[in-house]
Amino acid sequence: MLRFLVTRFLWMVPSLFVISFLAFVLIQLPPGDYVTTYIATLAASNEVVDQNQAADLRQRFGLDQPMIVQYWKWITGILLRGDFGLSFEWQQPVSELIWERMALTLVLTFSTLLATWAIALPVGVYSAVRKYSIGDYVATFFSFLGLAIPSFLLALVLMYLAAVEWGQEVGGLFSEKYQTAPWSWGKVLDLLTHLWIPVIILAVSGTASLIRVMRANMLDELNRAYVTTARAKGLSEFRLLIKYPVRLALNPFISTIAWLLPNLVSGSIIVAIVLSLPTAGPLLLQSLMAQDMYLAGAFILLICGLTLIGSLISDILLAIVDPRIRLE
Amino acid sequence: MSEVSKNGGIGRRSILKGAAGAAALSSVPGVVFAQGAPKEAPDLAKLVAEGKLPPLAQRLPSAPLVVKPLEKTGVYGGSLRRGLRGSADHNGILRMVGNQGLVRWNLGFTEVEPGVAQRWDVNANATEFTFHLRPGMKWSDGKPFTADDIVFAIEDCCKNSELYRSVPSVLVINGKPATVTKVSDTVVKFTFESPYAMFLENLATPLGQQPTLFPKHYCSQFMPKYNPNVADLAKAANMSDWPSLFRARCGDIEIPSRWGNVDKPTIDPWVVREAYTGGATRVVMERNPYFWQVDTNGAQLPYIDRLTFSISQDVESLMLDAVSGRLDIQDRHIDSLQNKPTLSQNMQRGGYRLLELIASGAQQCQIYFNITHKDPAMRAMFSNKEFRQALSLGIDRKEIIDLVYLGQSEPYQTGPRPGHPWYHEKLARQFTEHNAKQANDILDRLGYNRKDAQGFRLRPDGQKVFFAIDVIPTLYPDLVDTLELVRRHWVAIGVDMKVNTIERALYYTRGDNNDHDAAVWPGPGGLDPILDPRDYLAQHPQGSRYAIPWTLWYVSNGKDGQEPPESQKRRMKLFDDARATADLAKRGAMVKEIMDLCADAFETVGVCLAVNNFGVVRNNLQNVPKAYPNSWSWPNPGPAMPQQFFFQS
Repeated sequence: MLRFLVTRFLWMVPSLFVISFLAFVLIQLPPGDYVTTYIATLAASNEVVDQNQAADLRQRFGLDQPMIVQYWKWITGILLRGDFGLSFEWQQPVSELIWERMALTLVLTFSTLLATWAIALPVGVYSAVRKYSIGDYVATFFSFLGLAIPSFLLALVLMYLAAVEWGQEVGGLFSEKYQTAPWSWGKVLDLLTHLWIPVIILAVSGTASLIRVMRANMLDELNRAYVTTARAKGLSEFRLLIKYPVRLALNPFISTIAWLLPNLVSGSIIVAIVLSLPTAGPLLLQSLMAQDMYLAGAFILLICGLTLIGSLISDILLAIVDPRIRLE
Repeated sequence: MSEVSKNGGIGRRSILKGAAGAAALSSVPGVVFAQGAPKEAPDLAKLVAEGKLPPLAQRLPSAPLVVKPLEKTGVYGGSLRRGLRGSADHNGILRMVGNQGLVRWNLGFTEVEPGVAQRWDVNANATEFTFHLRPGMKWSDGKPFTADDIVFAIEDCCKNSELYRSVPSVLVINGKPATVTKVSDTVVKFTFESPYAMFLENLATPLGQQPTLFPKHYCSQFMPKYNPNVADLAKAANMSDWPSLFRARCGDIEIPSRWGNVDKPTIDPWVVREAYTGGATRVVMERNPYFWQVDTNGAQLPYIDRLTFSISQDVESLMLDAVSGRLDIQDRHIDSLQNKPTLSQNMQRGGYRLLELIASGAQQCQIYFNITHKDPAMRAMFSNKEFRQALSLGIDRKEIIDLVYLGQSEPYQTGPRPGHPWYHEKLARQFTEHNAKQANDILDRLGYNRKDAQGFRLRPDGQKVFFAIDVIPTLYPDLVDTLELVRRHWVAIGVDMKVNTIERALYYTRGDNNDHDAAVWPGPGGLDPILDPRDYLAQHPQGSRYAIPWTLWYVSNGKDGQEPPESQKRRMKLFDDARATADLAKRGAMVKEIMDLCADAFETVGVCLAVNNFGVVRNNLQNVPKAYPNSWSWPNPGPAMPQQFFFQS
């Protein structure tokens, strides 16, 4: 087990290097650079950049140098000084910008995850055990509906209803009073009163698919011989379910932890944009659109790092939960 | 058509004369002081009573700028809500508060009026501009604003090659920057080596704000000249060098960090409390207790306590905020013609009225054929004036106006708008009638008379007459619709065209590399022909899309790009001369000659006159004009003076 962990960790180093380089190349692939995008964005409002300044900017940000030089400057800054560079657009250190938004992103994602599991697991188990009952049909109906509706659309509809019909504010995670206030119990409560809307919107599609997965897995397990044996030995129906089939059916949930961590950053971008949530997603999209290289690069590096860590965690958890899996 | 566009541009002629007249008003001593009405905001009065703020008389200059409210004097209080987009929307703030230069535009966009400078003198050949500042004027932190600040801003900042690799263009004429000298604490002199008659007008635009942007007492700490320990400061702030630190703390005219530092003193009516940074979800600005403008009763402006800019990542959600009445004044991002029906329908529910934005551009949809195309055959085709004329005659402009622009425009080529003193009939109207027969005759005569199986014309070399027109669909959806109709009209005369919808950075890159066949953009220069003449001569390296290599030749003084033909060279010379000519009659004659040459050359093909747009104003917000120009040079709504807007309780 220990050897496995060490090898996995060692492999992560070259992987990250390759990923960082690919990320940098990918960000640079679209035509133009930050200055082109900057000029284009201003031109969209019919605003004009001083011609002298545009050329200056390109030189100042080192955009006139070959890409490999730019990459080298970036990666050595990170490795040697832990310096992720300066965001072109905001003239702020990248690390400052990223961490500012990560905390709220974590809160939102974990709340969504808990809500999704809290609904999906029991419903999935129920609709497998009571296959083809009314309850199963109802659950199936709603889970297909949930899968079919894109979450951004749900967000838009909710926002429209709230704004136009009920005259309420939906966007954001805080009321105006607490938006920039330091953390306090009041602020936490305020967060909770706002959090449920994005959590529901984000949980809808996740719940739907998980219900289907859980149901299918359970159905596989329920017909196995060990279930019949256990039942014959007089184990109570509830204990029997929890102890064996449910545990095995959880397998796919654990395997998806690898995707869960990167989803922290990128999973809910569209919903976050529609609802104006102060999470990391919109900032990532913004930096990509503005070709704000160092900011976008740091985000992508972070997402990739999280994916690697996530898959490691999945592997370990799988080994613990499912005795059939062996690491050696 | 409103008053503004009728008069637009008059000021270009009366500018020097008009300035003197307006200056007289602001220096009238002892404005009428109405008894009993409060002279400062209650929250400031309270701070004064508590001894936390000096009394009003010590905060105002001895000759404050007296602003005549548009309708009536207002009352203090209230919070004004506006919307920003999440990325690169700093100019949304600039347009609202950052209009405080040495001089400013009047409401009609016709004359330059006093701002920070209460008056000025210009020598006969327009090489020396002496500005008289307001004695006793203060920065928002209470420190005096003097000639030293202006000298610092230009001599130490703008002319510092580490900070600005080249001096901002507004301060440069014939390649030589201004020299700024202090005459006394309140008098400062700008000297140019050659005449620069357009200097005042350029100063009144947003790009002319540098002189009042950098408070010496604050910003000098980020410069090695004044602070030998600046490297440590930069290091502590995680910045690589002092120019980065300077930009992050003191900003520049149009970068987000101008609004990202709550400590930087300004002379704006409102100062930043919650900054515009990468992570921000809103920006809050509060009144500047030292603001140097008063109303006609002598009451300190602004009337409104604070501004709240909410930041939406999604422009559609701004529309939602507007129609549900959660924005007090908004035109930015929602001002497209497509939104007008929705905005009109929801007026009652949202409790707002519509605000007319007078188009400052000339052309709604200017087609720029690349006359300097890299491919010789294409170049031969596009650079033929008659070919362009034939295509112009082939467009059914009436159909486009009815279908795309709801009937609210008229066929137009380019040039100053109707009613403008420099309106040019031939430039504006030639070849705008729809005449397919004449178009066909011209094309036949030019040698495009053979046709392929589908009826498309063939070039003499046997290739089909075919080209692509670049357009950015996310930016101007109406232009895509227009081009689709134009495509149909041209198919009827045997010309094949592709509407090339592309992403905006690619659009610019193709232009920069001279890779485009043709492109569309709304043509500027309708109200401000001399401030934005890119369609009248190849002068703008990103904007004069019919011949970007000529532009490069012009801006590099003949070092780069391609040498343009005589007509262009003559116009370039005339434009340089006009900018340097103080005599307004002479300048007008030069502009007339530019327009004549431009009409003869017929380089761009226009569809219809630029259409007015609309914004929203909440019903309880007063002193807002019913209509104002929609322009970058007149950065709406700034010159309408939001400091004198107020909420009717």
